[in-house]
Amino acid sequence: MAGTDTMDTMLDILLVWLLVGAAMATVMTPRILWSVIGLAVTSAVLTILMFRFDSPLAAVFELSVCAGLIPAIFISTISLTQRLSPEGMAERRREKWRRFGLLPVLVILVGVALMQVHIPLDFVAPPAAKETDVRNVLWHVRHIDLVGQIAILLGGAWGVVVLLKERKRAA
Amino acid sequence: MLSLLILVPLAGLLLLNLPFTPAMKRTAWAFAFTVALAQVAMVLVAPAAAWSQQGFLAQYFSFGLEAKDLTRVLLLAIGIVMATTLMVGRSMITDDRQQFNFVNLLLVSIIGMNGVVLVTDLFSLYVFLEVTSVSSFILIAFNRDLGGLEGAFKYLILSAVATVLMLTGVALLMLVAGGTSFETVAAAMKTSGGITISQMAVGAFVCGLFIKGGLVPFHGWLPDAYSSAPAPVSILLAGIVTKVSGIYALVRLATSVFPASGAMNEVLMVVGAASIIVGALAALGQHDLKRMLAYSSISQMGYIVLGLGCGTPLGIVGAVFHLFNHAIFKTLLFVNSAAIEQRTGTTDMNRMGGLGSRMPVTGVTSTIAALSTAGVPPLAGFWSKLIIVIALWQAHDYGFAGIAVLMSVVTLAYLLLMQRRIFFGKTSPEHAGVREAAAGVVVPELVLAALTVAVGLLFPWVLNTFMLPVGGIFH
Amino acid sequence: MNESILLIPVLLPLIAGLAVLAIRGPVRLAREVVTLVVMLANLGLAIYLFGQDLTFVHPWAGVWGGIAMEMALRVYQFSGFILLAVAGFSLLVALYSWKFMADRSYGNQYYGYMLISVAMVNGAVMADHLVVLLFFWEGLLLTLMGMIAIGTKDAWKTAIKAFIIVGVTDVCLMMGIALTGWLAHTLRMSEIAAHPLSLAGLGSVAMIFMTIGAISKAGSMPFHSWIPDAAIDAPLPFMAFLPASLEKLLGIYLLGRITLNLFALTTESWVSTLLMIIGAVTILLAVAMALVQKDYKRLLSYHAISQVGYMILGIGTALPVGIIGGLFHMINHAMYKSCLFLSGGAVEKQAGTTDLARLGGLASKMPITFTCFIVAAAAISGVPPFNGFFSKELVYDGALERHWIFYAAALLGSFLTAASFLKLGHAAYLGKRDPANEGVKEAPMAMLLPMIVIAAGCVLFGVYNPLPLHYLIQPILGEHRLEGHDFAGLPANWMLVAATVLVLAAALVNHLVGVKRSGSGLGAADHIHHAPVLSTIYDWAARRFFDPYDIGMAIVRGLSLFLWGIDRFIDWIYDSFIVTLTTGLGWTVRLAHTGNYSLYIVWSLVGAAAIIAFLMRIL
Repeated sequence: MAGTDTMDTMLDILLVWLLVGAAMATVMTPRILWSVIGLAVTSAVLTILMFRFDSPLAAVFELSVCAGLIPAIFISTISLTQRLSPEGMAERRREKWRRFGLLPVLVILVGVALMQVHIPLDFVAPPAAKETDVRNVLWHVRHIDLVGQIAILLGGAWGVVVLLKERKRAA
Repeated sequence: MLSLLILVPLAGLLLLNLPFTPAMKRTAWAFAFTVALAQVAMVLVAPAAAWSQQGFLAQYFSFGLEAKDLTRVLLLAIGIVMATTLMVGRSMITDDRQQFNFVNLLLVSIIGMNGVVLVTDLFSLYVFLEVTSVSSFILIAFNRDLGGLEGAFKYLILSAVATVLMLTGVALLMLVAGGTSFETVAAAMKTSGGITISQMAVGAFVCGLFIKGGLVPFHGWLPDAYSSAPAPVSILLAGIVTKVSGIYALVRLATSVFPASGAMNEVLMVVGAASIIVGALAALGQHDLKRMLAYSSISQMGYIVLGLGCGTPLGIVGAVFHLFNHAIFKTLLFVNSAAIEQRTGTTDMNRMGGLGSRMPVTGVTSTIAALSTAGVPPLAGFWSKLIIVIALWQAHDYGFAGIAVLMSVVTLAYLLLMQRRIFFGKTSPEHAGVREAAAGVVVPELVLAALTVAVGLLFPWVLNTFMLPVGGIFH
Repeated sequence: MNESILLIPVLLPLIAGLAVLAIRGPVRLAREVVTLVVMLANLGLAIYLFGQDLTFVHPWAGVWGGIAMEMALRVYQFSGFILLAVAGFSLLVALYSWKFMADRSYGNQYYGYMLISVAMVNGAVMADHLVVLLFFWEGLLLTLMGMIAIGTKDAWKTAIKAFIIVGVTDVCLMMGIALTGWLAHTLRMSEIAAHPLSLAGLGSVAMIFMTIGAISKAGSMPFHSWIPDAAIDAPLPFMAFLPASLEKLLGIYLLGRITLNLFALTTESWVSTLLMIIGAVTILLAVAMALVQKDYKRLLSYHAISQVGYMILGIGTALPVGIIGGLFHMINHAMYKSCLFLSGGAVEKQAGTTDLARLGGLASKMPITFTCFIVAAAAISGVPPFNGFFSKELVYDGALERHWIFYAAALLGSFLTAASFLKLGHAAYLGKRDPANEGVKEAPMAMLLPMIVIAAGCVLFGVYNPLPLHYLIQPILGEHRLEGHDFAGLPANWMLVAATVLVLAAALVNHLVGVKRSGSGLGAADHIHHAPVLSTIYDWAARRFFDPYDIGMAIVRGLSLFLWGIDRFIDWIYDSFIVTLTTGLGWTVRLAHTGNYSLYIVWSLVGAAAIIAFLMRIL
């Protein structure tokens, strides 16, 4: 049993490293397409972690939205754009390197620093109200959040209209 | 009844946008304005029964909302500022389609803000904070100019950081408390509030709120957002958004939910004092009017948080009172800047001068607002600052009280300088032909100025009716 | 009878004075008539009140620190006597002014201030409560300033000078009264008189302060420098009115009350020695200045200062003979000095000038004036049998008993006084007549009458001196203080008389020598003026080196410059230093906001980390 536990922990830690690595790659790569793929990979790893932490529903949502829908929208938008010229690409590479070159080092340092912080986990967590039915949770327990969700969607829609729609030129 | 505050704007939003009612579009502004005024009226005259959750609506929409005294003060402020923004927006946004968009976004914003002040759950609080922020992002970038986009972007990024912090806090608190409603968390904090995880969670959440509220050192987005947003949006932001998002949540949580501890109070006071100092000093040398007012807002927020951090009921009363007063006079100042922008087309104070004779109403109301901000008796700002200083003194925080008073002098300095540069002196030739601002801007100016003066003069009544009950929120 | 009658000498002239101030225009004679009538009434009342012992008390401002503030007026021998004297002199000067002021434009103010001054002096004399005294004392300051300021065009400068000097000493008086009240636990003079305060410790300080106030009003050195200037700038009857008579009476009256009633002055105390020194110095320095004056009025004013020295010296001896002498000299001086000023006024009016160089030979033209002048001059010089001789003898007696040096100083003063008046008389009335003065006539009757009355009084008080001494002066001291002495009649010590006569003769010789050397009466004192050391000193004095007022003003100027420098420095701190500091800080803060959002994120994260760490550490 102890071996399995250690194995589990090691796997989790590996997955977290992968997560962070994918996130860094997303930020540091000069090509947008690879950024989007990096985003998808990050979400996929997160999905696996969520499965492992016993939250299948959250994992499914994460996978479908963040690793599926959003990269799909991004890629279709990118397909409408023009490729960058070689000079432009070199320029962007230099830019990225300049801005994020030290990022891995920083991440490692922060990780090491945080490891020194000792957080005592000795407390008794009260039993969380377990509700297995998603529909119940969404509709009855948290319906106020639904209203908020609707509002955000509407707000998002107006955002698109305001920010991206072509304005009528003054005659 | 309370649910109506959220549902009515939502319904309006949906209805106004149904594709087969073009006539509705024209009534959008009137609808929004009515909603805002109705909110004001509700706070002032609604009977006690209206504030409960009974009635037929409760069967279908029982949202677990609650409106205690603090909430009512904020609902009042939200209504006033929203009405002002609508009036100024109507006056300054000339294109019909743009105005329709604007009104819709304001409706989203009002949903968000009402939600923030009404909910009793941490996660819902977060959701409605996001609603408010989303509408704010878009509103800041409304004109799609470079400055607006940059300001919105910065707000977006820092808001994302705030989101991270807040969600971390919520998650950890859920771990400790088993739920996210205020009651659950408060109960859990009583027993396990002192353990490390709780402190971490509380700290993270509070830092997220600091970012939303624009306190030092989390304020980086604020000057850019305020100054590059279109004039009516600046009014909204400065008048109510940062207050609701940051300060209301802080007050609510620090007093009823999170454990009251000396450490948290100290953090609040240090952050408050830092905000006061940095805001005032940075405002001194600004030559852009809206930027100066933005830094001034940071400074005044600092006062509120300082009063909050004092820990005594008097400090809370002072903080909330100052919150309300600030909503009024900062809104007024931004309305004035909108008037100036409308007529002169600029907010660069170096290019202004002698506008007082040409724009008398703006000049006089600006002076009233400036004096109230600086805390000159008998205007409203004086009383709230006085209460905060007295609360600090009584709690033996003499150093902080001294900072508060000293920075009031600096506040007076830069505000008077602003007044002089804009309104007095020789009229610069390029603005020789300006007139007073349009009615849509002048009327709010007058109303807000009258409010500032009235609250200041009728201070005892205001104190007893509104503020002291707020002070009882500890219980 | 009703004690409220005591209010009338105060209220009647006051109301009349205010009414006269308000009268405008053509009803010219009305104010003179009103003044004369009121003065007559005042005199009548004073005669009526004389010899009585009445006290009027009325609660006024409650009780402060255990001391009652009342309006208390009292008439008894001393105050009744002074009241009578004041009434007499004011009537005579008012009568004189009728003609003198006939063609001056400021008659309203003159008579108005005169009446109000009389009211104030009456109130001060009758006051039995020290605060009431102070009130009237200060009131006199205003009328003093007013009466000087209406004179010539630049008279207001002198008025300011007088105001400052007398005002400062009035403040000393105020402090002295406060101390006295605190020491005695009461401010009623009659109550303090029952147990006069000793001069130990603070008592002497209180006495010094009050004495400063008293002798300054009387015109002693070093508070005297406004008087010669006023002699030129103010209308001349004013000089006869206030500095010569009323102020001397008032000042020496208060000095008398201080030394007799309020404090127990003894011959051993250092205050007594101090008073005698002040007296002696005043006598000598003032008369030395008088000697070299070339203007009738200035010369007289320096003498007025000098004579006060005799009074102070006499009272300062703390011996009955000296005190009696000083008080007698007070009333005598009031008489002959006012007579001298009135004669000077007559000359000014008739000949149009008081410059001694332009006068001369007026004796035949103005015989009556000349006669009065002779009587008064002889009295002031101490020639027997006039009143001045007797009072001076008493003062000499007392001075000699204390220390011979004071006697010598007094005697020298008499020598110089006599020399000076010989010179004045010669220069103005004898010698060659200036052709411009051919048409000079005798002064009008209204001006002559007061002079004659006073001159007669000088003779009377001298020849028949038991009258004033028994009825007026000695009762002031009371029986047991006099220790059985009676100073009426001829002087007791023949040696002193012989010394006086010798000194007078020497003065006459000196004068004749001087006339021979300089060729005219005016130059009779020139050989003293140009004596080796004296000439330098006179030079300095002429350039106002010694004027305490000018010295004081120079110090004040220096002090104000210094304080102005401090003010500038404080201003710099506020205006420059703090502003620069704040704007510098503001500039630093502004620069820190670069607009780079990653910087802002770093700030936020660092801040959040700090806050969370802080919270976690505190458990």
